[in-house]
Amino acid sequence: MIFVPVDVLVQGSRLFPRLSEETASAGVVIAKDILPLALLPPIFLYIGSTLLGWEIGAEHAIRMSPNILFLVSLCYFSALLFGLIGLAILLRWMAPTYDASLELSRHLTLVATVATPMVVGSIAHLYPHVFVNMLSIIPVLIWSMFLLYRGLPILLQTTPQQGMLMASSLIGIVLVAAVTLLGITVVLWTHGFGPSLGL
Amino acid sequence: MPDSNVYNDRVVTVLVVLSLVWAIAGMAAGVFIAAELVWPTIDLGQEWLSYGRVRTLHTNGVIFGFGVSALMATAFYSVQRTCHVTLFAPRLAWFCCIAWNLVVLTGGISFLAGWTSGKEYAELEWPFDIGITIVWLAFAVVFFGTIANRKVKPIYVSNWFYGALIIVIAMLHVVNSLAIPISIDKSYSLFAGAQDAIVQWWYGHNAVGFLLTGGFLGMLYYFLPKQADRPIWSYRLSIVAFWAFTYSYIWAGPHHLHYNAIPEWVQSLGVVMSIILLAPSWATMVNGVMTVAGAWEKLKTDPALKFIVLALAFYGLATFEGPMLSIKSVNVVSHFTDWTVGHVHSGALGWNAMITFGTFYFLVPRLVGAELYSIRLANIHFWLALAGTMLYILSMWGAGVSQGLLWLSLDELGELSYGFRDIMASMAPYYALRFVAGAVFLTGAVLMFYNFIKTMENRTTVTRRIPEVKTANVVAEVAA
Repeated sequence: MIFVPVDVLVQGSRLFPRLSEETASAGVVIAKDILPLALLPPIFLYIGSTLLGWEIGAEHAIRMSPNILFLVSLCYFSALLFGLIGLAILLRWMAPTYDASLELSRHLTLVATVATPMVVGSIAHLYPHVFVNMLSIIPVLIWSMFLLYRGLPILLQTTPQQGMLMASSLIGIVLVAAVTLLGITVVLWTHGFGPSLGL
Repeated sequence: MPDSNVYNDRVVTVLVVLSLVWAIAGMAAGVFIAAELVWPTIDLGQEWLSYGRVRTLHTNGVIFGFGVSALMATAFYSVQRTCHVTLFAPRLAWFCCIAWNLVVLTGGISFLAGWTSGKEYAELEWPFDIGITIVWLAFAVVFFGTIANRKVKPIYVSNWFYGALIIVIAMLHVVNSLAIPISIDKSYSLFAGAQDAIVQWWYGHNAVGFLLTGGFLGMLYYFLPKQADRPIWSYRLSIVAFWAFTYSYIWAGPHHLHYNAIPEWVQSLGVVMSIILLAPSWATMVNGVMTVAGAWEKLKTDPALKFIVLALAFYGLATFEGPMLSIKSVNVVSHFTDWTVGHVHSGALGWNAMITFGTFYFLVPRLVGAELYSIRLANIHFWLALAGTMLYILSMWGAGVSQGLLWLSLDELGELSYGFRDIMASMAPYYALRFVAGAVFLTGAVLMFYNFIKTMENRTTVTRRIPEVKTANVVAEVAA
């Protein structure tokens, strides 16, 4: 039985042929792989923010009460869960275009694999400083992208060329999703949710 | 007398080489000013090396040197092939090539000397503005003259985009540059105050629209089907997208002037039109992505197609982010921060530069009739370009959102929590990262330049005869 988050760390891209052979239902992959991945970053965030507070760059750190931080962490968890499962569904939607497998469990497994390095990088949340967290993203992002381009054709059973195109489309989607999250956050701030702004 | 039975490609080759030189020079200037923001003393106290002057050289060098030279090259190349005729007025085409690059070069030197009109992306002073107008008219004569001589009746969609580029940029440039000269190096705009601002951003945003988007879409619509060796996925969609794009872009400029002294309704109109723009932009992205999706086998042998695939992904990002940033409650945080700089570069590096790189990897070997010197180098370039762009965007997102948050923050007394100087001082790590990102991207471009020099070494432009028109259907003709 493969436990994606741990096995990816131990075996890296050598895991893909084994992952491709193992069949589990979509529900099992969500419960076993996706849930723990979505749970860890909010936990790191909660611990780091309650102990140290967020440093955005100037003078003192921003501190919030544990209750609000719990709410923020809960929203973070929901966003991650929605994002990870949503990406798998989007991949399945794109699959016919790139002659890829239509089994949702394979798409979920791929998303879990690619997300694992990012979750490892989220350990940086324990020290909530924006720049430190951004720096920590860089190596894990490279690792995630390597896993995506390497693993997609194997897991989704398509040619390397079509896999390359599908992976690039996914990067486009993830970039748009990332900037949407930024936009939503900023709109929430300007409407009074979050830090007090002079608007 | 030039042979009217062969394509005139020598001018295309020269324009491609000049565009490459500008790419290296303009991007190097960008990396230098990025370094200045981290280590301000590297200007060595020289005025001509100061941020304000070199920054203008950077933006004009990459947009007008690299970008427009590439657009002229690809327009001249593709208009001949889609019309099945040689270039109209070939001497005028050579005039465009040489005069344009002289204007940008001397204009660049004038920036270092401190000449500027103070209008962003239109900083060149009045003597250069007149020069640009003359060259642009010559460009129009060559391009539309070739179309008038065409042997294929329908005008292929890439020519619509190049045509819009030529007409709209002429209109924007002339109106925005109307000024009263007071000396050889100084003039004052004919418009005053808020009207000047509206005219400036009508120009500024549509220079992005019709040059950096429309012009490069012309490039995409010709070279993508060529590289994919199949017609565009939906020709009908490309035409609908063209008209929707042309109609809606021209109104979007006021979103650069939110919360300024211009009428509220003008700002709101700018937002509405910016959001509508998402539809034609994404229609084009879908058209491109679906065209490549059917041509995946080409990826085995063609390093260029990868650049185009990624260019489409970043085009999707930039054209989504733009409308989003135009919404006033997002803009209030993002405006005057590095988020805007990040947005511009996701378009400039991710879309404009990538699509041009992809096109040049296709074009250069064909122009000189040789194989690309090194596919391996092209592949390394691809990963460097991707890494550089991603790093750039990440660092500017981090810096921009932090800035927006920090300089709107209030303390318990309702005073600003942070001083401007403190906020800027805390940005040094982000700027260092942006410098690294730019250097990585530039390294990739240098590898490409070397690759092309080796490919072109000891070779001249191949003379190609114009084939007979096989069908009246220009869409099939382009793919053939």
